[in-house]
Parts: sequence; structure tokens; C-alpha cells
Amino acid sequence: MKVRFWGVRGSIPVPGRTTSRYGGNTSCVEVRPKGAPPIIIDAGTGLRRLGKSLMEEAFRDGKGETSILISHTHWDHVQGLPFFSPLYRQGNQVHIFARQRDTHLEAVFSQQHDMPYFPVPLSAMHADMHFHELIEGARFEIGRAKVSCTRLNHPWIAMAYRIDVDGAAVVYCADTAPFADILFGREFMVTPPALDQPLPADVIAELDKMRAGVVALAKNADLLIYDTQFTKDEYRLRPHWGHSHPDDAIAIAHDAGVKTLCLFHHAPLRSDDDNDAILANYRQVVKQQGERFNLLSAYEGLELTLGDE
Amino acid sequence: MKIKFWGVRGSIPAPGPDTIRYGGNTSCVSIHTGSGGLVIIDMGTGLMHLGNTLMGGPFGKSGGRATLLLSHTHWDHIQGLGFFAPVFVGANQFTVWGPGGSPEVLEQILEGQMDPNFSPLQSLKNFSAKFDVRAVPLDGSAFDAEGLTVTAREHPHGATTALAFRLEEAGRSFVYASDVGYGEGGPSPEAIAFYRGADVLLHDTTYRPEDQATRRNRGFSSYEDAAIAAVEAGVKRLVMFHYDQDYSDDDVDALCANARTVLDARGGKSIGLVPAREGEELEI
Repeated sequence: MKVRFWGVRGSIPVPGRTTSRYGGNTSCVEVRPKGAPPIIIDAGTGLRRLGKSLMEEAFRDGKGETSILISHTHWDHVQGLPFFSPLYRQGNQVHIFARQRDTHLEAVFSQQHDMPYFPVPLSAMHADMHFHELIEGARFEIGRAKVSCTRLNHPWIAMAYRIDVDGAAVVYCADTAPFADILFGREFMVTPPALDQPLPADVIAELDKMRAGVVALAKNADLLIYDTQFTKDEYRLRPHWGHSHPDDAIAIAHDAGVKTLCLFHHAPLRSDDDNDAILANYRQVVKQQGERFNLLSAYEGLELTLGDE
Repeated sequence: MKIKFWGVRGSIPAPGPDTIRYGGNTSCVSIHTGSGGLVIIDMGTGLMHLGNTLMGGPFGKSGGRATLLLSHTHWDHIQGLGFFAPVFVGANQFTVWGPGGSPEVLEQILEGQMDPNFSPLQSLKNFSAKFDVRAVPLDGSAFDAEGLTVTAREHPHGATTALAFRLEEAGRSFVYASDVGYGEGGPSPEAIAFYRGADVLLHDTTYRPEDQATRRNRGFSSYEDAAIAAVEAGVKRLVMFHYDQDYSDDDVDALCANARTVLDARGGKSIGLVPAREGEELEI
């Protein structure tokens, strides 16, 4: 399979000179099993360009099919969907998978197309859209690909996905905080809680269980894509934002025994030079720790081939 | 008035190496008034960068105030709000004028963007700054924005409408007319009257005429519409704005050259032409 990054940024798209090498589009990754329709993870603004590229294929003639796995519906993970060209062509089949919630998934996605916000309602999309609601731990197949998922530690809860196909596995873990200081649910936290305070036993147990679920999902994966929006110091200032940092990602990659760890979901104001420096620094750390995995930092246009050619 | 462009792109932010010169952020313009006030028009992603700059002044110490004018509530005109740092600082004060017909409706639309399904902020109530939301009068009556006299006009914008604003201070005038799509006949007499004699007319130039012809229902203008409006209204300078997300910097260069040709051919040789660029300033 091939894995291609179309959007690697977190929170908000950031056009401009200082972000043009890594790219300013929000989260979108294309997973392409050999000879099969694309599986897309997240629908940030990177999806717009992916959609244009897909229109060169079967989607142009209304004969395309794709499945989009949504980690969660925060703006930076869905805001590209209204600009996804294949939706405007009759006959295309678009499957959207996301975690079940109180409101039906289609109703959630419809809101993005409501009249005060966008000129074209979701119901007016020409493609056939199919919504699939997932519960944590669900396993399902998309063609030959086997997909599994587990929950992450993020406000209003995000899902991590694993795709096994062509003799390889890719795992996508965004967005998540470390499983150490805060158990995220639905509460809004105005200010960060005090860190390094003992947590209640039930919270520790829940966080341990969640972390074990992520490590199990990523077990022996060829590629682990991980939310490293923060540096360690930034995380200590904003632990209540629900994002992680490279030290935590490296620990997960170590425990899961992955082959490659890819830093992802870069902070909006992180410059290309800063990203270069973070990668160089953590390549040293990984080397000093004797880790056996490769370390990459995601940039727009990065394409990796995994498993069978 | 000192006008600064923070976001000049239409529909969706367009990051990439081919949009660096003009910029890929969505609509946001700031106006520093002669008397030191701050007025902001539209809250696209450019607003985040304006906000980060403002944090170096009174807004960083909870003593800032500004008026926000909102042309309409499509995503590319509101999506910067949750990333505008001054709203999370103590007692900063904002007066927001926008569409919707009533403050309650406008506030509800803005609140929808913060719905916990979509935003970790969960609600406008979690902003610490004070928001005074008001509905723009559509009968042509003037209102005050940080000492500027403002009038608004509802323009056709596809299946909906967008507000154009005319800002006046000490006999000088700035008109903001983004996201306007006229009918087949081009700019209406009412629109021309609204722009009449402006020192600066910022006008939607989303499309080339040939692209606009196939997408008329989307409610945007071509540089030709903008040039015609500028000539007919006898404005002094025309600012091109809200470029299509698919246009590269080179495309916008061509848009600008063609707009100059149209202006000259239609008797607007004396009209200054300024393509809006992120980070650039204009003084009236």
C-alpha cells in the first residue's frame, strides 16, 4: 500500500512562507491499497487537493468509491469535506466512518453545510453518501483492508484507526493527549489543572486501559502516525488542549514495537525550521535510546510505500 | 484610515508554495482610524494573525476594544474567531455588527461554530472578552464604529446576501464589497450609488470573467465587474480581493494586469489599482 500525506497541520490551516515546506493544510492522509479504491483518514483542508487529484480517475466519470475514516469532527478534521470535488459528481460512492455519538452522524455533518455557513446543503451533494457509526473497538473490512479502532484521550473523544492490508499496517493516532495527566471527556476546562498531582485510582485505571488499547492497536505496525502538536514544554502549559508531544509518541512507538514513527498534526505556528529542529533533535534522542524504529516528520506530499509493492 | 490586509483569499484557506506572494488566508481586513480606533472587517483565518499581533498592545493586557463588521457568516468569513487570541484575555471588549436581522440570530449563528462536536471551545460563553452583538440596520441608516460613520448595503451573493460596508471619516471613505455577485446586467445602480466617489473601493474579484460565466450561481464577481463598478462609481482606487482558492500567485498577477486593461479601456485610467496582498497596508 501507499500512504500519502495531504494535510499535516493541527487546529487551523496556516498558509504562508514559514510553513510552505511542511505544508499548511489541516489533517488528511490517503491510504491506497494496491489496485483498490483509496481509504482516506480525516477530512481537513488537505482533502480539497486530494479530491482534485481523484477527479483525474474514476471519480471524474462518477464511478469512484472511497471510504473516509474520521478521527473526530473538530473543524480541522472535517472542514475540507464541503470542498471535496468527488461529492459533486453523481454516481460516486463516499462512505464516511466516525464514532457514534448522541446526534446521528449525518446530522452532525449536515450542520457544516447549513445555510448561514455554506451555500450548498449536504443533501444537495450529487454523490451517494453513506454514514457508518462506529463503537470503540469495532472491526470491519473495506475491500481487502481490515480496519480496527480504539478511543483516544481528547476533548469529546477521538478515534485511532489501524488499517491492515497488502502485508503491512498503518496506524493513525490523532488527536490525543498523553495518557497521564487528564482523562478527557466532555467537560470544558477553562484553565489547565495542576500537573504532577496524584489522580484518583479510577482515572488512572481508565487512562492505563486507554493507553494499553493504543499500544495494542499499534502493535508491530509498519507506520505509526502520531499527534505531536506540542513540544514537551508547550504541553505543560496547555495539557487541557488534548494534544501530545514527541517524547510521549516515542514511548508509545517503543512499547508497540513499530517500524516507523511519523510526527504529525504540527502546531499552526510551528515554522518549517522549527519542525526541522524538532525532527533532528528527536532523531538523536531515538538513537541514544537505542530505539529500533525510524523517525519521520509528516509533510504535505510525503508518500510512503508499505508492505507488498 | 490605515487599512491592512490579513486574509485576501475566498472560500477556503489555500496554503502552498504557489500562494505565498498574495497569501492563502481567508478574508480579514483591519482599519486603524485617524483617532486611534480599531475596526476589523470579517473573521477569516487572517484574523488569527491579526490577533497575535494585537496581543503586543492593549489587547494583551485586557484593555483592548474594537468593532468587528461581519459581511456574512459563510465559513471563510468567520472561521478565524476561535483562534483570535484577544477573545481569551480578560476584559477586552468587542462590538460585533453583522447580518441576521437580530442580535439573537447572529449570536446563535456564531455560537453554532463553537458547537462541541466541532470546536473544543464548546461555546462563545467560554470566551472571556465581552461581546456586544448587534444587527446591522438594512434601511441605510448610519451607525458608529470606533468613531467611523458606517452604512451597510445588502448585496446579492448566490442564494443569499452579503453586506457591503461604507466607512467614512473626516470626508474620506472606504468601501468593502466582498462576496457580491451581480445579475447578468452587472453592477446595479443602487450598488454604484453606494460606492460613489469612494477614496478606496475594495471589491470582490474572485474570478476571471470566463470562470465567472460558468459559476454565476456562486455569487462572486470577476475583475471585469469590479472594474466596471469602479469606473461607474468614480472611485479613486480599486482594491482587488477574495481570490479563488485555485488561483496561483501568477494567476493573480494576470488577473491584475487584465483588470488594469479593462479599467483603462473603460475610461478609468486615473483609477489606482491595488491587488490585496496579505500583510500590506494602504493609507487613505
